[in-house]
Amino acid sequence: MTGLDIAVTGLGLVTPGGVGVEAGWAAVCAGRSTAAHDPTLAGHEVSISCRVPDFDADALLGARRAVRLDRFAQLALVAAREAVADEERTTWDAARVGVVIGTSSGGGETFERQHGLLLADGPTGVSPLLLPMHLPNMVAGQIAMEFGFHGPNLVVATACASGATAIGVACDLLAARRCDVVLAGGVDALLNPLTMAGFARMGALSRRTDPATASRPFDADRDGFVAAEGAAVLVLRRAEDARADGRPVRARIVGYGATADAHHITKPDPEGRGVIAAVRAALADAGAAPGDVGHVNAHGTSTQLNDLVEGRVLAGLLPSGPLVTSTKGVTGHMLGAAGAAEAVFTVLAVEQGIVPPTANLDTLDPELDIDVATTAVPLGVELALSNSFGFGGQNAVLAIARA
Amino acid sequence: MYETLKNILVSTLKVAPEQITPDATKDDLELDSIAFVELSMELGKEHDLHISDDELFDMETVADIVALMEERAGTDR
Repeated sequence: MTGLDIAVTGLGLVTPGGVGVEAGWAAVCAGRSTAAHDPTLAGHEVSISCRVPDFDADALLGARRAVRLDRFAQLALVAAREAVADEERTTWDAARVGVVIGTSSGGGETFERQHGLLLADGPTGVSPLLLPMHLPNMVAGQIAMEFGFHGPNLVVATACASGATAIGVACDLLAARRCDVVLAGGVDALLNPLTMAGFARMGALSRRTDPATASRPFDADRDGFVAAEGAAVLVLRRAEDARADGRPVRARIVGYGATADAHHITKPDPEGRGVIAAVRAALADAGAAPGDVGHVNAHGTSTQLNDLVEGRVLAGLLPSGPLVTSTKGVTGHMLGAAGAAEAVFTVLAVEQGIVPPTANLDTLDPELDIDVATTAVPLGVELALSNSFGFGGQNAVLAIARA
Repeated sequence: MYETLKNILVSTLKVAPEQITPDATKDDLELDSIAFVELSMELGKEHDLHISDDELFDMETVADIVALMEERAGTDR
């Protein structure tokens, strides 16, 4: 046992369930899909998405600040503010506070709009803000500028595992004592037409025409994911420090497993070898046995292959039959934000003793022998896993324990 | 020209209108070099006033910028 013991002391969330942890958790526990027809995708092969409702960047951030931020950075900054507001910062040494954010590709909306201006007006039509708004690293930089944090400042990209990878990297920074506090999380706002056309062309998205039933993880009739936007940020500290400062600990991250399938650009390894190794690594970190796991917030994208491989791995690896859920039935797939948002949902599940439901699970895939929650279930959980997997075969698993 | 400049500062650069006075400096308005590139682009594209960002950046106050805009408009005619 390596003794990883990282306290979660602050949470911030911006999801299709709404702005704020309370709104996001309420939406997930209600188990109703947030997917809707998306007017910006009219004429596309797939025109449904899960957008953050009522996100007024000017009101939340100030117009002067918001106009220089791509939507992905706007979402992340609002989530970071909520997470930091949840904490008492008087004991923080700014030089020892790090920021690690995961994102799959940064400011896609800005990149697409500016490319349009290049084609229309030539090079001088391109905004000088293209790079400050588009570059993926800018989101961590903006958060550091917001609060004056001078510690390590990183952005990681492991596609749809990015948010979970960022949390894992943050735990490593804390365990290595390179930082005393880290803001860690994930963000993506890639519902722009170009990115969505790319997802549709590769066959990743659900083709269902009724948005409310399109995202259906582990269901026999699933046919792809529903793309979503969102951001999540957690305040992380070594548990010993949080206790010494008398800070309330909401849950602890006690294990992290990171592996690569090294198999295919989009398909998971059919045997799930990378996922198995990641789960085992997270459990070894936690000094826990497979039978100790009471709940799994699955990656559960609602694609044929992911859910099949992940479900088989969970059934084979965890004999205790933990209660599995995929919150993507409600939120859609928040891409680089998903792993961080689902870590927040897992923290809340162990903190509050409630496993949220998987929306739209009418008939469990008969190939799978797992116990999936279809309603919010009151359940005391000592140890939970949050799984995240990305295109390119990158896997990140977090083990989260009750405080 | 003052109103033209004020409108650009408010609508494109999101400067608070009450901050904008003839005597306000670029520091008062927190206008950095990137803001002057945006201003130059907007003047050229929307108002056919071709002034480089470097020329604009050399101005100290809003009144100075307005004077340069008026001078350039007169030259172009």
